[in-house]
Amino acid sequence: MTDIGRRRTTLVFLAGALLVSLLVATAVGSVSLSLAGVVRALLEKAGLPGGDANPLGPTGEAILFSVRLPRVLLAALVGGGLAVVGAVLQAVFRNPLADAGLLGVGGGAALGAVLAVNLGLASSVFFALPLAAFAGAMAAVFAVYFIAGASGRASVQGLLLTGIAVSALAGAGTSVLLVATEEFRVKTVLFWLAGGLEGRGWTHVHAAAAFVLAGVGALVLLGRPLDVLSLGEDEAASLGLPVRATRLGLLGLTSLVAGACTAVAGAVPFVGLMAPHALRPLVGPLGRHLLPAAFLAGALLVVLADLGARTLSVRFELPLGAVTAFVGAPYFLVALRANEGRG
Amino acid sequence: MSVGELLLSARGLDVERGSVRVLEDASVDLVAGEALAVVGPNAAGKSTLVRALAGLLPPAAGEVQLRGRPLRAWPRDALSRVLALVTSEEEGPDMLTVEDRVGLGRYPHRGPFRRFSPGDEAAVARAMEQTGISHLARRRLVTLSAGERQLATLARGLAQEPQVLLLDEPAAHLDIGHQLQLFRALDGVRQCGVAVLAVIHDLARAAAWASRMVLVSSGRIAAEGTPAAVLGSEAAGKAFGVRIRGHAVPGLPHLLYMFEEAP
Repeated sequence: MTDIGRRRTTLVFLAGALLVSLLVATAVGSVSLSLAGVVRALLEKAGLPGGDANPLGPTGEAILFSVRLPRVLLAALVGGGLAVVGAVLQAVFRNPLADAGLLGVGGGAALGAVLAVNLGLASSVFFALPLAAFAGAMAAVFAVYFIAGASGRASVQGLLLTGIAVSALAGAGTSVLLVATEEFRVKTVLFWLAGGLEGRGWTHVHAAAAFVLAGVGALVLLGRPLDVLSLGEDEAASLGLPVRATRLGLLGLTSLVAGACTAVAGAVPFVGLMAPHALRPLVGPLGRHLLPAAFLAGALLVVLADLGARTLSVRFELPLGAVTAFVGAPYFLVALRANEGRG
Repeated sequence: MSVGELLLSARGLDVERGSVRVLEDASVDLVAGEALAVVGPNAAGKSTLVRALAGLLPPAAGEVQLRGRPLRAWPRDALSRVLALVTSEEEGPDMLTVEDRVGLGRYPHRGPFRRFSPGDEAAVARAMEQTGISHLARRRLVTLSAGERQLATLARGLAQEPQVLLLDEPAAHLDIGHQLQLFRALDGVRQCGVAVLAVIHDLARAAAWASRMVLVSSGRIAAEGTPAAVLGSEAAGKAFGVRIRGHAVPGLPHLLYMFEEAP
């Protein structure tokens, strides 16, 4: 098969699988809705032919539109966003293991979230926890840029080391705050830290969509400068790319996307590593090809993982972050082994 | 651009890395169509010289002029359409195909948004043909040998269609067959009027290829002239700490060199 053919097949397959998984995930849950009813209700809502005014009954409608649909859409946004972030960072840092954690996003978000809970804001002010998490993520990213940039020019190595240091610092702050937090509030933080989408509504969807869709769109548009940057600093500069400005712009965009995803969903590990890694052999590493495919694959992955988190246990919901790690960690071990074999 | 036209000219370059002066008072001229080899012992400042000539390292003193205009007065993209740098360090992402890797050499001409034109396609095809890697076009870089990757990097530089081509140890990873292929490609573009400057580690290879040679030692230009003059100079023996002897061989256009440890 030609490269173009393989790219097209991959995109069509991913888009189809995502659509099916979105519908199935919307229908399946503690209360099952009929798939046909879901499709008809959605068509009606969208004003398309083939719709039906009220195929699910009032309870079914309420579950569909105020519980399932926002949650499933949010899963898709978070997964797609994190996968694109991973793909971009791996190209910028020229390392297949790079993800948003390197910039301090996860550590900063956790610190912000714990602070909001510790102060009691999370339970009294609407949307305070995601906002605080987002603010924490951005503060950590700024700290990384500022400290790495203060020593002269912010090199890739300097950013990596500073990111690790700032994350560790934020982690220490999080532990201290956790110990100092009243016991009945700790569970809120733990749930958030473990990653999950339980109880998320349209506000979360709108907030995440604004950042994720705009950020991913801009990153796809910047695909070619990203490709040039992935050749290394010297070669990129000798091809006329303003290396520092481009890197700053790309890292800024990825921080916004990753910050928004982490703020609404907590830690969802391995998506940013798995999706790009699996797709590179199929569509190649060029930004214009890889990023859209990674978005679809990441969305598919997290929609399915969240479906698993909701339905695998009848007694309680599993943390979404644990489900993606259960899938991601073995995937990675196998992929590493395969790489070694190829030598 | 005609053969013999002065394209690149550096005057009194001082370059510092950190607070260490690694290049001092270096002056180099490069004219269209010539093959200039830069030789010198390890850590002499050869790579620094090449990067300064390419505009990647701003000099602390002195100036580089490209076609009569100071380098820093050139917009970055216009500069990259006239001057290309190829090093042996950058290898490119594993999963990239050779064709796409060479195609990124068109970036200075296309910018972030312009589509790939027939002109771009022709330049990429020509660059792969000149370097003898057309048959590898669809292969991913990870499947290539180090030498083939190096040739793909050179093809990227040729796809830029530069008038000045700077190379830092272009033959570093190449076996003898690939080396000959590489220098033949360089001679090909040189005959089209491109000025080629290459840092070359192998003195015998440098002498066989270059029309002119510059010896860099301890951050200074220690000798300059024909390969025979430079390698025959006292400065060359001193720089490498060896005795260099050139032997004329009937039927060979250049001297054959022998090296011995200095007593």
